[in-house]
Amino acid sequence: MRRFSILILLISITAGMLYAGGYQVRLQGQRQTGMGLIGTSLRGDASSLFYNPAGLSSINGKWSFSAGFSPIFNKVGFRLEGDPNTVYNDNPVGTPFSFYGSTMITKKLGFGIGAYTPYGSSAVWGDDWIGASLVQDLSLKAIFIQPTLSYKFGDVFSIGAGFVIASGTVELNRAVPYNSPAVEGQANLTGDAMEYGYNVGIMVTPGDKWSFGLNYRSEIIMSVEDGEAKFTLPTSIQPIIPVENKFSADLPLPANLDFGVSYQATEKLLLAIEANYVFWEVYDSLKFTFEEQPDLLNSSNPRLYSNSLIGRIGAEYKFSDIVTGRLGMYYDPTPTNEDYFTPETPSLTTLGISAGLSIYPIENFAIDISYLHLETKQASKSYLPANFKGDYKSRTIIPGVGLTYNF
Amino acid sequence: MNIKNLFLLLIAALLFACKPELDDATTTAGSADFAKYVAIGNSLTAGFTDSELFISGQNNSYPSILANQMLAVGGGEFKQPMMLDEYGFGRRMLLNAAAQRPVSAGVPVNPANFNSIASDGPFNNLGVPGIKSFHLVPGAEAYSNLNPYYRRFAAQPGVSTVLGEAVAQNPTFFTCWVGSNDVLVYAAAGGASDSITNPALFQVVMGAVLQQLTANGAKGAVANVPDITSIPYFSFMNTQLPYNGLVLTQPQQVAALNFGYAPLNAFIKMMGSTDTLAFQLGQNPFVIADKELPWGMRQMRSDELFLLTLSAATDSINHGWGSLAPIPDRYVLTQAEIDRIKSATDSYNNILMTLASQFDLAYVDTKGLLEKVSTESIERDGIKFTGTYVTGNTFSLDGVHITGQAAAMVANEFIKSINAKYGSALKEVSPVYYSGLFYY
Repeated sequence: MRRFSILILLISITAGMLYAGGYQVRLQGQRQTGMGLIGTSLRGDASSLFYNPAGLSSINGKWSFSAGFSPIFNKVGFRLEGDPNTVYNDNPVGTPFSFYGSTMITKKLGFGIGAYTPYGSSAVWGDDWIGASLVQDLSLKAIFIQPTLSYKFGDVFSIGAGFVIASGTVELNRAVPYNSPAVEGQANLTGDAMEYGYNVGIMVTPGDKWSFGLNYRSEIIMSVEDGEAKFTLPTSIQPIIPVENKFSADLPLPANLDFGVSYQATEKLLLAIEANYVFWEVYDSLKFTFEEQPDLLNSSNPRLYSNSLIGRIGAEYKFSDIVTGRLGMYYDPTPTNEDYFTPETPSLTTLGISAGLSIYPIENFAIDISYLHLETKQASKSYLPANFKGDYKSRTIIPGVGLTYNF
Repeated sequence: MNIKNLFLLLIAALLFACKPELDDATTTAGSADFAKYVAIGNSLTAGFTDSELFISGQNNSYPSILANQMLAVGGGEFKQPMMLDEYGFGRRMLLNAAAQRPVSAGVPVNPANFNSIASDGPFNNLGVPGIKSFHLVPGAEAYSNLNPYYRRFAAQPGVSTVLGEAVAQNPTFFTCWVGSNDVLVYAAAGGASDSITNPALFQVVMGAVLQQLTANGAKGAVANVPDITSIPYFSFMNTQLPYNGLVLTQPQQVAALNFGYAPLNAFIKMMGSTDTLAFQLGQNPFVIADKELPWGMRQMRSDELFLLTLSAATDSINHGWGSLAPIPDRYVLTQAEIDRIKSATDSYNNILMTLASQFDLAYVDTKGLLEKVSTESIERDGIKFTGTYVTGNTFSLDGVHITGQAAAMVANEFIKSINAKYGSALKEVSPVYYSGLFYY
C-alpha cells in the first residue's frame, strides 16, 4: 500500500511537464517520458533507437519490442493586449506514437527499426478569432522511420547510427483581408514532403554504476513543393488572385545534440541528468512562394528562433521485480523570439514534471504508463509584422501507455 | 454508462483540467462606473457604414468597441438593436475590386428587418441613423415613428424619445455624439433643401439631454462635431473634377458661350455686380446654380465643393451641365453654404465644450481626430488613415461614414478622454482587428 500511495502522490503533483519547445515532440518512449524525457544514457529496450542508437547493442535478450502512445491534451490561452477576454485554442488531442523492434544479429551487433513522430503541432484557434490573419488552424505531422545499426566494442564503449526517412504533411488555414458579406477570405495551404536524415550516438559505460550517452540527430528541412493553395475570395477579387494555386515552402526540423549521464546509486535506484541542445536557429523565417501571382502572394514571415538548451533530471526506482516507478522534471526554454512569436506554434518556456510506472506481469514483459504535465508562465509576446501582441499561457497533460517486451 | 462514454468523458475531463487561467490585467474604472453604459448618437453611433446599417457594421460600432473594453473594468452587457443580416434595408455598398469602384450589394431586402424588435430591448446602443439633436428630446415623439431605423427598436413608436429611453435605463455611464446631422442633412442636399439647426436650439436641447442623463449621478463623455466639409462626400469629387474642369479646346466653343451668356452678363452688370460669366480657351470654372443670386447662377470658385452624388451625373456634364446650363444647386456647396456649415459646427462645439465642463463630463475631440486624418494622416499598427475616399481606410464607400477600423480609432479617442477625466484604465484597441472595406 505504501508504494501505491507514493504513486498517487506523484500523480497529484501536477506541477508541470511537456513536449519540447517549438514543434518538437520528444515522447518517444514511456520509460523516458516518465523520467522527464531522459533517454540518451539509458539502455534496456528498443526505444533507445530514438534517444541513442548506441544503446541498441546493450539490450538484454535477443529481441526487443517497444510500442507506446502518448495523447497530448493541450490548451493555450491568449489575451490580446488591451482586450479583456481570454480566448482558448481548441486543439484536437495530439497523437504521438512510437513503435520499435530490435534484435542482436551477433553478440556485438544490434539492428533495429522504429517508427515515431518527433515533430508535430496542432493549433486550432477558429476561423473568426482575433488572430485569424496569422493562423486559423495549423496541423503539422511528421513520421520518421529509422533503420539502425549499433555495435558494442567490449563492455564500455558502443556506437549506433540510424538512417532517418522523414515523411510529413502540413495544412494551414489563415484569413486573408478580402471579405464580402457572404465570403470570409481564406487561404488554405496543404502540402507534403519526404526527406532524409540521420541519428547517431555513442554510449560509454565504465563499470556498473555510470553510463554516459551522446546523441546527435540531424537537421531535416522539410521542403514542400507543389503544395496546393486554395483561396476563398469575394467574386470581384478572383480576377486578381486565382482561387487555385501552387506553393512551395520549407519547414526546418532542427538538429539535436543530447548529452546524458546516469548513475546506478543503489541496486534499486537509478539517477539521471541530461542536457539537450536544439539547433532551432535554422528556423529563421517561413517563406511561401506561389506559382501564380507571386509578386502579390509571396511572403517571408520572420520567426528568428534561437538555439535552446533543455535541462532534465530523472530517477527510476525498482520497487520490486514487478513494479518500477519513475519521476522526472525538466526546464525547456522557448526557442521563439518574443517579437516574432506567432500563435501557429505558441511555444512558451515550459516546466515539465513527469511520473511513470512499469509493471512486469511476467519477466521481460512490461506494461508502461507515464504521465507528463507541462506548465508555462504567462508570457507577453508580440508578432511585430502584424502588431499582434498579447499574453499567452499554456498547459498540457500527456498520459501515456506502452508495452515493452525483451526476450 | 458504457466504456465508450466513459472514455469520452475522460477525454473531456482531461481537456478541461488542462485549461490555463490567465492572470487579470491590471485595470481600474477610476471614478467612473461602467456597469450600465448607454450610447446616444446618430448613424456613427449605430454603426452605420457603406450606406447601410447591418450586423458587421453594428459589431464594429465605436460604442460596441468601448463596451467590450469596459468589460475589464466592471462593464456590463451591451445590447444593440441588431439588424437581421448583412444588408439591412438594402442600400449596402460593396467595393468591386476588379472594376475598382463601389457598387450596390444588390441583394433583395429581407422585409423582416423593418419589423419591431422592441421586445428584445431596452437597448444600450440608442444610435439612430439620421437623427438630429432636437429629435432626441420630448416634443419629437413622432420621430420615433417616422425614422424607420428608430421605429424598429423604439419601445413605443410615436411615443418614445431617445433621451427618454436612455434615462429609463438609469445608466451609470453614457456617451453622447450628436450634432453631425444638424449640418450634414443640409450639406448633403447641397444646401438646396433642409436647414441647419439653429445653435440656440442646439444649446437648449443638448443642455436638457446632458442635464437629464447626469441627474442620477451618471458619468459620461461628450464628443464634438467634425468638420463635415472635409469628408469624401464633399471633398472627393473635386479631385476628379476640379472647379475649373470645363476645358474648352475650340475657339468656336468659347465664342458661342461668351455670346450665349452676353445678355445675362449685361443684366448682371446692370444689377451692379461684377460677377459675370467669361470663357476662354483651356480651363474654365464650371457654371453652377447659386440661388442666393437674383439671376441664379455664376462660375464656380476654387474652394467650393462638388458633392459625391455628382459622380453619377457625369453624362449630364458631358451634355452641357456647367457650361450651357448651371450644375444644379444640390450637387454643389457654395462658399456661403460652407461658411454657414462651419460656423454652425463651431457654435455647436463651443456649446458642447461648455456643457461638458458644466456637467463635469469627458470631452472627446473627434473633430480634431478627423481633421488630423484629413489634413495629415494617422498611422496605427501599420494601418495608415487618411481622408482619401475608398483607399484612406477612414471612410466607408458612402463617403460619409467611417469604417470599422476608423471606429476603433474613434473608440480610442473616447478612451483617452474618459481615462483622462475619470482616472480609469480602459485599454485602447488596435484597429487591425476591426473591419475595413467589404468587397463585391
